[in-house]
Amino acid sequence: MTPVWALALATAVAALTAALGAVPLRIRRTLPLSWLGWSNASAAGLMLGGAFVLAREGLGLNPLPAALGAGAGIAVLLWSHWFAGTSELDLNRIESVDATYAPRVLLVQTLHGAFEGMAIGAAAVFDLKLGLFLALALAVHNVAEAMTLCAVLCGQGIQISRAATLAVISNLGQVLLAVVTYSLVVPAPELRAPVLGFATGALVYLVLVDLLPEAYEQSGETSIAVVTSLTTSVVILLGGLLRL
Amino acid sequence: MDAWTAGLTPWLEQHPLAGVFSLATITALATGLGALPFALMRQVSARGQAYASAVAGGLMMGATLGLIFEGMARGMVQTLIGVNAGVLFVLATARLLHRYEVAPDAFSGGDARRMLLMILVMTVHSFSEGVAVGASFAGGLPLAVFVTLAIAIHNIPEGIAITAVLRPGGISVARSAGWSVFSSLPQPLMAVPAFLLVETFRPALPYALGFAAGAMLLMVLLELLPGAYREGRRPIVGVLMSAAFFLMLLFQRML
Repeated sequence: MTPVWALALATAVAALTAALGAVPLRIRRTLPLSWLGWSNASAAGLMLGGAFVLAREGLGLNPLPAALGAGAGIAVLLWSHWFAGTSELDLNRIESVDATYAPRVLLVQTLHGAFEGMAIGAAAVFDLKLGLFLALALAVHNVAEAMTLCAVLCGQGIQISRAATLAVISNLGQVLLAVVTYSLVVPAPELRAPVLGFATGALVYLVLVDLLPEAYEQSGETSIAVVTSLTTSVVILLGGLLRL
Repeated sequence: MDAWTAGLTPWLEQHPLAGVFSLATITALATGLGALPFALMRQVSARGQAYASAVAGGLMMGATLGLIFEGMARGMVQTLIGVNAGVLFVLATARLLHRYEVAPDAFSGGDARRMLLMILVMTVHSFSEGVAVGASFAGGLPLAVFVTLAIAIHNIPEGIAITAVLRPGGISVARSAGWSVFSSLPQPLMAVPAFLLVETFRPALPYALGFAAGAMLLMVLLELLPGAYREGRRPIVGVLMSAAFFLMLLFQRML
């Protein structure tokens, strides 16, 4: 199997796992707010851990371009949020809001998926194992993220199965961007460090701006801090074991 | 640099303990330099405090990552155990402080808790750095000087982080500098025994590094970030923290 196909498969699976996020909703119609918080915290930890592992590799390659890439990643996300009008959007409202809320939340999720895909692609250029590892970490992250997403969508009156489908669709950008990033960067080795940095900056920023803020209000500072740090350290450890 | 080291070598060879101790003390004093940027600023609003916390958080997260990677190079599982221990330590300390409602000099409970926790965490964190400085002397003088310099420079952002938390609580710049230096005192204190007992300390290093990292990470996630989100605008907090994080990583790389 060529690397590109391996990547496409891995990210497709990662996108599909988002459907699992709807499972808790089939069991309990309304999820307790604290669950959403912990779900966000785990998603944050997985993404942060993945970003940290990437940061090490990117900076190890070529520190300054990687750091500049990170700056660019942060800037692009800042702009994307501003452009989409979602800078301060609370992604966790499970009560009914206006008609534009669900599409806006889905837009943000699509954005997430796109940058996750880019990260996976960039990682895979560096080392295919790393790319697949990140795809795995993000697949689990997708489940947690999707749980929150489905809870929000159901709160807006959307059926569970439709919510699950939307969650998967919003992640399909992951597949596309992983493959495109990989294909574009493989023939250009000097792009490896900055693109890795770009992806890392984007992921870190996403965690800080989209995943963590509301989590603190949902579940209390202590549990969020603990869940996030433990999840992050496990991912870092696994990433380290990968290196051996 | 080489000429300077060459001049220093005879003295250090004759007085190794004094050498270790004084170099480590210099690293501790360097932490006080972190308070300097704050001498240029006036009153800090709640929003300013939030953004200062964001920067401090980013720097600390960068330092955490550096420590974790250093630890992992010397022992993966040990580092993870250390990280968990550090997390538990900060949790236990936070809970303890909460229970006794420590509030010196009429600060609000939350402020005082955050400041005390910060100083405590950074002090405990310094133990492992002291071990690193002491242990490095066994690897030859150039390595020792390099590590000492690296840690001294690394201490400056830590001083910034500490001052960023202390200043809004009303502590003067001079006092903040003093507390910053205090938090680094374990470095010279640990450096001497670590130098004398290198073989004994070596296996402890990944645990110590992990512990320091875990403690700092939890400090950021438990105290600094929530405060920043409460008072500051999310995109700005995000940008400041991410930028500080990557700058710290780059900084550590370049040492």
